Amino acid sequence: MSADLSRLVPLIGAIIVAAIAVVTRRAWLPAIGHAGPSIWRIAKITVAEARRRRVVQAVIVLVVVILFSMTFFTYLSPQEQARMLISGGLAAITVFGILLAIFVAAFMIPHEVETRTIYAILSKPVRRFEFVLGKYLGALIVLGVITAIMTAVLVVVLVVQDRLVPDSGESVFNPNLGPVIFAAVMSYCAVAVLTALIILISTVSSTTMTVISAFIIWAVGSLQSTFSDLAQHAEGAAKTLLLIVYHAVPKLENFDFQREAANFMPISLVSGWNAVLHGIGYTAVVLLLASIFFNDRQM
Amino acid sequence: MENAETVLQINGLTKIYRSLFTPVGVKAVDNLTLGVRRGETYSIVGPNGSGKTTTLKILLGLLFPTSGASSIFGRGINDLSVRERIGFLPEDAYLYDCFSGEELLDFYAGLFGYGRRKRRQLVDELLALVGMQANRRVPFRECSKGMRQRLALAQALVNDPELLILDEPTSGLDPAGRQQMTRLVLELKARGKTILLCSHFLAEVEEVCDRVGILYAGRLVSEGTLGELAGEPTEIAITTSRLAGGAAERVAAKPAVVNVEEGTVRMRRAEEGQLWDVLQTIHEAGGVIFEVRRPRPTLQDVFVRAIGEERVSER
Repeated sequence: MSADLSRLVPLIGAIIVAAIAVVTRRAWLPAIGHAGPSIWRIAKITVAEARRRRVVQAVIVLVVVILFSMTFFTYLSPQEQARMLISGGLAAITVFGILLAIFVAAFMIPHEVETRTIYAILSKPVRRFEFVLGKYLGALIVLGVITAIMTAVLVVVLVVQDRLVPDSGESVFNPNLGPVIFAAVMSYCAVAVLTALIILISTVSSTTMTVISAFIIWAVGSLQSTFSDLAQHAEGAAKTLLLIVYHAVPKLENFDFQREAANFMPISLVSGWNAVLHGIGYTAVVLLLASIFFNDRQM
Repeated sequence: MENAETVLQINGLTKIYRSLFTPVGVKAVDNLTLGVRRGETYSIVGPNGSGKTTTLKILLGLLFPTSGASSIFGRGINDLSVRERIGFLPEDAYLYDCFSGEELLDFYAGLFGYGRRKRRQLVDELLALVGMQANRRVPFRECSKGMRQRLALAQALVNDPELLILDEPTSGLDPAGRQQMTRLVLELKARGKTILLCSHFLAEVEEVCDRVGILYAGRLVSEGTLGELAGEPTEIAITTSRLAGGAAERVAAKPAVVNVEEGTVRMRRAEEGQLWDVLQTIHEAGGVIFEVRRPRPTLQDVFVRAIGEERVSER
């Protein structure tokens, strides 16, 4: 199979899944019809709760301060300044996005169980999978809003700097907005995948274990190519273990377009599309497992 | 025995908690069988660790039984349609603490799929019912214990449930709060709700319940109406003025008299034919008779006796 065709595999997979969903809609549509409002209500209260806790606001303020502070590196050439702002800004969006994902998602379900607020919810006509999906959707909205705010601030900083920094010879300040926004969106997709995995872990373990596992997964997920190389050179049980890790942990590296955006390199939309499709499939499986595990959990 | 009027039925329910360190497990509920009839208020009472809350959690699908079966309205407890007809007040009112009563009730009503207009109407009605209109915008974390408990009761009523499951509704409340909560439960009972109640406060249980089940070590050791549990009165109590001098000894010497305490003479009911003789002796001794009654044992007496008997049989 040629490289071009292999890129179409996720797309073909998505079309097959969509076709199966359409054919079997009579089986799942009534359940979803009931689940929809419950999932949405739980998502909404999750968002409202995050807003009231003010931790999110504190993180946004911190990121805004960091982004604006990076505009003071005036000794760099205009091109270097743009590169540093883009690279630093996207790194801040990714790191704070993932840190927030870890802390929002890791505490969400265990906190509900520990404080027993879940009792009043599950005694209503709410299925456990609806609770898990509602919590995930709520976390996605919270993290999406935060990523959007951070990206908007980065864009504003880049546009303002573009006006303020004078070009010197061939060195021009290029805000590279399209690729920057694309990279930020892809960073959000990585956060969405990681959030699903954290929720899965939180359905079977304590908050502390979830947080520790999330950091390990983040590290391993960001070093997937290294694991692939190591697996190729390893033998026996070590090879099997590395391959399991390689396939089980989400390939967060695939969502990383910071280098392309910061270095004004062309961005492969197909790579982005493949990463998104892989992420959607991975997230669906992980959320299905989370629902199954949570369904069997004793409160 | 299950019949058409049985709203809730538990058959041979057993729950054993097992862990890595206790592979044999701890039996929290042991072969429990009971039924709650439509319109009645049934109370499960028992000492700490007797399996009351575990039973309620199983009924709500929060815990899974080791064996046995339960049904509500003739359907399995995991049937979603059952949850649309029940309301649950958890012990210690655990609700989201950063939201006000108004917001919380709107959220819980939304879980039943009610539209905005109906939710608004429900919130107003429920806040009025539990006396929280004035504090409708106070965040839950700033509410007093009594306010929290009333809000928790309101959330249990958002769907106008046919069956209410209340876990320690008066726990942690001061006497005024307990009285207010008891009044609310009585009002709900008067509206025809079927109520399953777990409580430590036996005087309140006595006030609101039609039938009582006494749980000990996960087993139902006694069940029935208070009259059935207490049985017929075994004594007659005569309230008198203080018996001076040797008067008390003279009354106590009567064969039917059990004891003479400050202002109360107790005699065996089996020998009530001797009542006139005892009254005459009190009168002759200079005592004034205020009241003659047949005191029925309280739920507290019944409870202590039932638990005591179980403890003795365990030894």
